[in-house]
Amino acid sequence: MTQLVAEDINVWFGERHVLKDVNLLFPEREVTALIGPSGCGKSTFIRTLNRMHELIPSAGLGGRVLLDGTDIYDAGVDPVEVRLRVGMVFQKPNPFPTMSIKENVLSGLKLANRKNDDPNGLVETSLRRASMWNEVKDRLNDPALSLSGGQQQRLCIARSLAMDPEVLLMDEPCSALDPGSTRRIEETILELKDEMTIVIVTHNMQQAQRVSSRTAFFLAEDGNPGQVVEFGETEQVFNQPVDLRTNDYVNGHFG
Amino acid sequence: MEKVTAMPVDPTPVARPKNAEPWKQVSLSGVVTIVLASVVPAAVGLLAMVLGVRFEHALLLIFLPTQLVLGVIAGRKISGKRGQADAILQVLVVFFAATVLVLLISVVWSVIERGSKAISWQFITQNNVYISGQTSLEYGGLGHAIIGTVLIVALTTIVTVPLGIATAVYLTETRGGTRSTVRTLIQALSGLPSVVAGLFIYAMFIASGLTQYVGWAGSLALIPLMLPTVTRVAEESLLLVPQELRNGALALGSSAWRAFSLVTMPAAKSGLITAILLGIARIVGETAPLLITTFAANNTNLNPFNGSIATLPTYLYTYIASNFDTAVQRAWGAALVILILVAILFIAARVMTRQKTAKKVGK
Repeated sequence: MTQLVAEDINVWFGERHVLKDVNLLFPEREVTALIGPSGCGKSTFIRTLNRMHELIPSAGLGGRVLLDGTDIYDAGVDPVEVRLRVGMVFQKPNPFPTMSIKENVLSGLKLANRKNDDPNGLVETSLRRASMWNEVKDRLNDPALSLSGGQQQRLCIARSLAMDPEVLLMDEPCSALDPGSTRRIEETILELKDEMTIVIVTHNMQQAQRVSSRTAFFLAEDGNPGQVVEFGETEQVFNQPVDLRTNDYVNGHFG
Repeated sequence: MEKVTAMPVDPTPVARPKNAEPWKQVSLSGVVTIVLASVVPAAVGLLAMVLGVRFEHALLLIFLPTQLVLGVIAGRKISGKRGQADAILQVLVVFFAATVLVLLISVVWSVIERGSKAISWQFITQNNVYISGQTSLEYGGLGHAIIGTVLIVALTTIVTVPLGIATAVYLTETRGGTRSTVRTLIQALSGLPSVVAGLFIYAMFIASGLTQYVGWAGSLALIPLMLPTVTRVAEESLLLVPQELRNGALALGSSAWRAFSLVTMPAAKSGLITAILLGIARIVGETAPLLITTFAANNTNLNPFNGSIATLPTYLYTYIASNFDTAVQRAWGAALVILILVAILFIAARVMTRQKTAKKVGK
C-alpha cells in the first residue's frame, strides 16, 4: 500500500520563503483536495510531491516527502523513479503535438524506455479508465491536437494512467475546461480513487466537495509564506471549519 | 481522521538554510569516488611524463583513457547505468573544453604580452606621419587609426541599425508576403565573404573612376556584413516578446505603430541593444573590405567623405608583414587595441542584458 506523507515542507524561491511547515498525510486510495486563494503555494506544494519542484532554478526545499516510508529526496533516490510512481496532470492540457492519440497514451512507456507486451490493450484500458475510449476508439491515429480541450485533458490523464502510477497529482486539471468536460473528469477521479491515491489542487469549492474525502486549506497572508490553515475531512472543513479564515474562504467571503 | 487541526499563522519568516537543495546532495562515498576519479588520472599522467613519456602521449594515451575508465566506474557507483553514460560525456566534454580554453587563453595572452610592449600614451594618440617600420617605438602611433575606425564604424552603424531593426520588425511584426524570402536573403548575406563585399564596392565606385579611395566607401562595404547580425539578433529578441503583450496593447485600441513603439520595443530593448553591439563587434576587425575601399593613411583624417582613412585593421596589416621588429611590435599593439575595443563592446552588451533580467526578477 502506498502512503504519501509530507513532513515539515518549507519552500523557498531564491530568498523568498513561500511555503512554511506543511505537514500533510495523504491516506492511500483517497482523494485529497488542496484549496486556497491564488498564490498561496498549492501548486508549488503539489510539485514537491514528485520532485518537479527542483526543476525551477532558484527552488529550495526543507523537510521530507515520504513515499512508503522512504524520503523521495534522499541522496540515493532517482527522481525518474519517483515520477514513474507519482504521476502528474497539469493545469493546461499538454498532449504531445507531434504524436497521435494512441502514441500519446503510450508515450510514457517510450519515454521511460519500457516494453509492454500488449500495447493495444494498454491503450484501451487507459482510455477506458479516463472514460474516453468510446469517443476516440475509431480515431486512435488522429493527431492529439484534433481533440477538444476537455478530451485533451482526459488524454493526458490516460497518458499518466498508462504508467500505472501509485499516486496521481492533479494541478487544477479542470480550470481551463467547460462544465461538461469538468464533470467527466470528476467522474474519472471518483472511479480511480479505489485504485490509487489522488491529490488534486482546485479553485472550485464544489469540485473539492464532490470528489475529495479530505481537504487541506492553504493560505498566505499579507506576504507571509503559505501555510496549511486547516486540514481534515472535506465534510468538516466545509461545514464546520475550526478556523475562522477557513469559514470565510469556503463561504466565499474572500479569496 | 475526525480531528480537525487549525494552525495559527506565525509571521516570522525563516531564512533559507544552506542545505535547502536536497537534490544536490552527494553522499560521502560519492565524494570520495569523484575525488579519486579526478586525482588519480592526473597523477598517473604526470608519473608517465616523469618517466619520460612525451606530453602529447601522456595526455592522450594515458591521462584521457584512465580518466574515462575511472569516470565510468565512479558514475556507475553513484547513479548506475545513467551515471556511466553521464561520466563518459562529462569527461570528454570537460577535456575538450579545457583544450579549447587553453588555446583561447594562449591566443589572448600572446596578444596581451606582445601588444603591451608597444602600447604607450604616445602610441595611442599620435599618428603615423613620417614613421616607417624602422622608426623607434618612441615615435608615432595609431591614434589616427583609432579615430578612423570609430568614424567608419559609426557611419556604418548609423545606416545599418535602423535598416537592420526595421528588417527585423518587418519579419516579426508584420504579415508581409515576402517575409520568408527576406529571411532567406538575410541568412545568405551572413555567409557573404567580407572581401567580396569590399570588391563589389571597389568595382562600383573606385574602379569605375567615380571616386578615389574614401572613408564612406569602406562604410558602404561594411553594411552588408553588419546587417545580417543586427537583423537576426533583433529578430530573435522581438520573437521572445510574448504575443499576449501585443494583443493586450492592440485590444486597448492602440495603433500597430504605437503598440510596437510603446510596448513591444521596450520589452525587447536589451535584446535590440545587444543586436547593435554584436553588429559593431562583427565589423570592427574587418580588414579586407577596408583595404580595397578606404585604403590606409598615415595622417589623421577626420572626414570620411574626403580621402583615404587609416583604420586599426589596415594599420595592423601594413606592419605585421614587415621584417623589422619595431614594425611587428606596432602591429601587435594594434591587435591589442582592437581586442580591447571588442572586449569593451561585449562587456557593455553583457551589462545591458543583465539590467533587464534584474528588472524582471524584481517585478
